[in-house]
Amino acid sequence: MMVLREKKQFTVFCLMYTILIFWTSYSIELVIKTPGLGLASTSFFMALAIGIFLSLLYSWIIVRRNSRTIATLKCIGWTNKDINSLISGFILFTTFVGFFIVIEVLFHYAAFFAYIDPTTPTVPLVSLLPVFVTFIIFLFFQLSAILLANRKILRVRPIIALKRVGV
Amino acid sequence: MPVDKDTMIEAIDVNKEYRRSGAIIRALADINLTIKSGEFILVQGPTGCGKSTLLNVLSGIDLPDSGKIIFDGENIARAQEARLSKLRRQKIGFVFQDFNLIPTLTAMENVAALLWPTVLREKEIENRAIAALRDVNLLERKDHYPVELSGGEKQRCGLARAIIHRPRVILADEPTGNLDPESEKQVMDLLKQINKDMETTIIVVTHRGSLASYANKIVKMDKGAIINIQ
Repeated sequence: MMVLREKKQFTVFCLMYTILIFWTSYSIELVIKTPGLGLASTSFFMALAIGIFLSLLYSWIIVRRNSRTIATLKCIGWTNKDINSLISGFILFTTFVGFFIVIEVLFHYAAFFAYIDPTTPTVPLVSLLPVFVTFIIFLFFQLSAILLANRKILRVRPIIALKRVGV
Repeated sequence: MPVDKDTMIEAIDVNKEYRRSGAIIRALADINLTIKSGEFILVQGPTGCGKSTLLNVLSGIDLPDSGKIIFDGENIARAQEARLSKLRRQKIGFVFQDFNLIPTLTAMENVAALLWPTVLREKEIENRAIAALRDVNLLERKDHYPVELSGGEKQRCGLARAIIHRPRVILADEPTGNLDPESEKQVMDLLKQINKDMETTIIVVTHRGSLASYANKIVKMDKGAIINIQ
């Protein structure tokens, strides 16, 4: 619920994850179909590098932007574990939404072409296996993002909540 | 350990130093203070005298360099963070000068947030949040976001959050520092009412002398030391 109300942050990162998940899946699809294609491998590794960077950036931004909220929650009795669960939820929810948008887009793409030309068997833009592999890869990325967030949450001292705003 | 069962918090030979720009600042110097259950205490003194540090140390938000803090019979001066979190959740309510409400949550959600990590059912948490908001006369604003509330309403929401779990102690750091005189009176009257009705120990840090009439004990500090207890 809280993640959805951080509208700007959620929308921007969700969109970026959607693009990256699609890009990675498509690159895997190309690598599978044409193993000798160097361009597809380069594209795949680029997507992976951006994916890991984006995941770490997202967790860093969430903790940094919410450090006062985290400190307040610590003051009122939330444990580090409680706050970790909340932030992990933020990160995983954004990824899941991005993943489901990709699935939806691919499904509608296939349905659209099947509707236009029902006589020709529709070739999906990206098949299920690359999307599934991408999902597993991104889950690993998010695990590293959660670990980073965990370390940063430990460093947020509850005393920050008592500091005056702007001081 | 205190022998007096009425003693809520006891600070024994508490010292705290800070290092700032190479210089050592003695924030708390040999503090000895006993706070009894149900007292309404005002901690006063000039800026930088150590009153906020005292509040932080009494609540386990900051740890003293030496000395003991006996909170409801337990020395918390060397307690682990997880133990301190549990203690704050069960026995302490906080009221902040800057309200510290979560901007993306409604007034009721802000109040209920304290109980979210507990085993209580959602309905029970909602009922308690409604009761707390009713206690501070803010029920009609329960679905409003902090940005839609006035300063006084924000602080009353903060007060509702501080009492939702029926704490033994409420710690308030300059709770009326950002309020107009009318809202200040409302908030202080509510604190006094909570003190009376729930027998909650209230400790208010303030630099305003005008609030003295609310307290039954005034602790005056200067240069990290308690100079007078009235």
